[in-house]
Amino acid sequence: MRAKWLGVVGLLAALGLLVPVGQQIQAQRTALKYGGARVTLAMRDQVGQGMAIGLLAGFRGVVADFLWINNQGYWERKEWIRMYRNMELVTTLQPQAVTFWDTAQWHMAWNIAHAVSSDPANRTKAEGLKRKREWEEKAREFLADGIQNVPNRYELYFAMGWLHWWKLKDPCQARIYFEKAAQFPEAPTYCTRMFVRGVEMCGDREGAYRLWRELWRDGNPEKSRDGINIKNIIERELKRLENDLKLPDEQRIFPVSHS
Amino acid sequence: MDAIRTENLTKKYQLGWRRGRLLALDQLNLRVREGEVYGLLGPNGSGKSTTLKLILGLVSASAGEAWLFDVPCRKVESRLHVGFLPENPYFYKYLSGAETLEFYGKLCRMRGAPLAKRIDELLELVGLTQARERRLAGYSKGMLQRIGLAAALIHDPKLVLLDEPTAGVDPIGSRDIRDLIVRLKGMGKTVLLSSHLLAQVQDVCDRIGVLNVGKMILEGDVNTLISDQKRLSITVQDLPDAGRAQVEAAVRAAGGSVVTVEHPQTTLEALFLQAVKQDPRGKKIHD
Amino acid sequence: MTERVGFSLGRVGTIAANTFTEALRQKVYNILLIFALVVIASASFFSQFTFSEQLKFVKDFCLGAISIFGTLIAIVGTAQLLPAEMENRTIYTILAKPVRRFEFLLGKYGGSLLLIFLSLLVMAVMFGAALFFKENRLVAETMRDTNLTAEQAADAVARIRAEAWDPDVGKGMLLIFVKQALLAAVTLLISTFSTSMVFNVAVGFMVFFAGHLRAAAMEMLGGSRVVAWLLQVIPDLAAFNVADDIILGNAIPWGHVALVAMYGIAYTSVVVAAAYLLFADREI
Repeated sequence: MRAKWLGVVGLLAALGLLVPVGQQIQAQRTALKYGGARVTLAMRDQVGQGMAIGLLAGFRGVVADFLWINNQGYWERKEWIRMYRNMELVTTLQPQAVTFWDTAQWHMAWNIAHAVSSDPANRTKAEGLKRKREWEEKAREFLADGIQNVPNRYELYFAMGWLHWWKLKDPCQARIYFEKAAQFPEAPTYCTRMFVRGVEMCGDREGAYRLWRELWRDGNPEKSRDGINIKNIIERELKRLENDLKLPDEQRIFPVSHS
Repeated sequence: MDAIRTENLTKKYQLGWRRGRLLALDQLNLRVREGEVYGLLGPNGSGKSTTLKLILGLVSASAGEAWLFDVPCRKVESRLHVGFLPENPYFYKYLSGAETLEFYGKLCRMRGAPLAKRIDELLELVGLTQARERRLAGYSKGMLQRIGLAAALIHDPKLVLLDEPTAGVDPIGSRDIRDLIVRLKGMGKTVLLSSHLLAQVQDVCDRIGVLNVGKMILEGDVNTLISDQKRLSITVQDLPDAGRAQVEAAVRAAGGSVVTVEHPQTTLEALFLQAVKQDPRGKKIHD
Repeated sequence: MTERVGFSLGRVGTIAANTFTEALRQKVYNILLIFALVVIASASFFSQFTFSEQLKFVKDFCLGAISIFGTLIAIVGTAQLLPAEMENRTIYTILAKPVRRFEFLLGKYGGSLLLIFLSLLVMAVMFGAALFFKENRLVAETMRDTNLTAEQAADAVARIRAEAWDPDVGKGMLLIFVKQALLAAVTLLISTFSTSMVFNVAVGFMVFFAGHLRAAAMEMLGGSRVVAWLLQVIPDLAAFNVADDIILGNAIPWGHVALVAMYGIAYTSVVVAAAYLLFADREI
């Protein structure tokens, strides 16, 4: 009998020893930013009971995915605001999911913006254009949020650059984001090339030419992923800029008399 | 050495919250000698099963002690020398007869060739060699009892405990089991048999003890207990009626009295066994 | 003078192997068929979404299913082990042999662990097959897409391959296994004194939810020190859920994984020891 009570005390002591271990694990999780956003009551109202249980049971990704799949329905029914709120909710649940931020801004700036600009309900063309501009701006704000939440991946910087380049028509801003993206080691080489093009489009052709020369590396440019040969691309750009800048032969990599 | 020895062995069961305790066994003093077949009898609820469980360490005593070959029953070592066949045993249905014995053998740290040999021997002993590869799901009640007995014997224990070994078994199976018990005795093993099928116990036991409401109320040698010492039975054959009168007169002349004169009867069991044995279609395949 | 019967791992192994083969016949393993359906569905549908989203769906749904179905198998598969032995009285024949109760308990638990491990393995293989199928489908689609330049296509293919096969998933599976071993141990503990399978399963799941809600409960009720201390006793099951973070591409350092695994193993040991304390004196 005594042995049994000793055993019980021993086990309770062991459990007590595990408490600081549990706390250390919690601390590590917070430092590593695991677990996503806290589940609040407001969130529970938005997602519904079943999903809320899923969230509490640790199936955050699954719940976020289920909600995200609803986008398809909203898109087909042209419920843009619902779609926006949905994407907002999902990115709140999993703020570290690059794909949600990226796809959301693409939906807003490309798909929704185009749809509202050509909406037959628009009274004038100007109204359509205004609505389009609003959605592009929404996309930019959304993506800025995304970058704040996931500052350690290249994809969202590149997306922001792309957004500024094609939709917001601001190559100088685009250039800044392309440069940030290119600094990540895993970024594909076209990030750098877009940066250089941005430099040129922002008005600094000489600067762009110097950068192309750096990339050329005396005829041995860095290989892109999967070994695609970007030598031709750089060569083409160098030749074009050498002609545009009307450089004398001795300063060119590709002298006119030999081409 | 006594195979089993108990001293004031007592067991009280708690009957749930505030419902008091049930005295299942009251200061039992039992001694089973090595090499004998002991019958533990008693009505349902008399404490027979409790006694067996206490001896096997399946429950712990409220008071008193029990020893198996001088090893206290609460120690796991005491079970090295005992084999147990519970009432209505139920084994793992999907194992075959041989696999079942292998499982129990491994539990007793037996392995390899010695275990295989022992399995063959036991299957031969209990008459189940033909059914060794068949799954236990396809065994009859009698076969299950026999495989259970084989499993109890796998580690060649000196003592065998049998709880209602013939309950629910047909007369032929029953006879087989009783023959096995006699063989075990012949091998020098001690057998403790708990049953309330009294006629069957009478055949095989050397000594019996009767439990009632947790107390031993009668104990002793079977033949001594059941024979009526004051009466004598003489069976005669081919005696004409005239001779019968003479015999009766001779008894009275010697000072005795004739109580009954009747034709001896065979038992229903013997009749049944004889009839089955003589049936030209032989034993059924499942047995 | 008397021989000594020491603790025998061989006996534990014999009981574990037997438990494994017996328990395999329980109906709960049909759940693996439902899992197969989840896998097939997640791999075949959602083609309207981007490749990144599709891969995320496959991983989320499959790992989520592995977690929930594995937990079901762990709890339901273990709930019946001891009660069945007692109901069928096979336990008498085993404990009447020179087998220690601890060996018996450990053997039963070991058999359960084997089953959980095997189930996880089967599910992991199916998961791998789904990823393989999806990856190849996406690569084929990318190659066929005429809107992409050669370099964009090559980059997309490389990204698909990189996202599909993340070795960190192994770490996630390891922690899922430890969590399920813990829940099986809790169920075993309950079954040492309760013979009702329904009760055992219910309590097992209560512990599952309590373990997940622990963090939330601490925030809400953690004011009182007594309550906070009591809550600490419940195992923190949320710590074993790294699947979401793996899928999001967060770093999963081995140090953290090892710490969580050790926490789980230590907790499990305490629970199994408690089960032994209860089982040692139990009247059979």
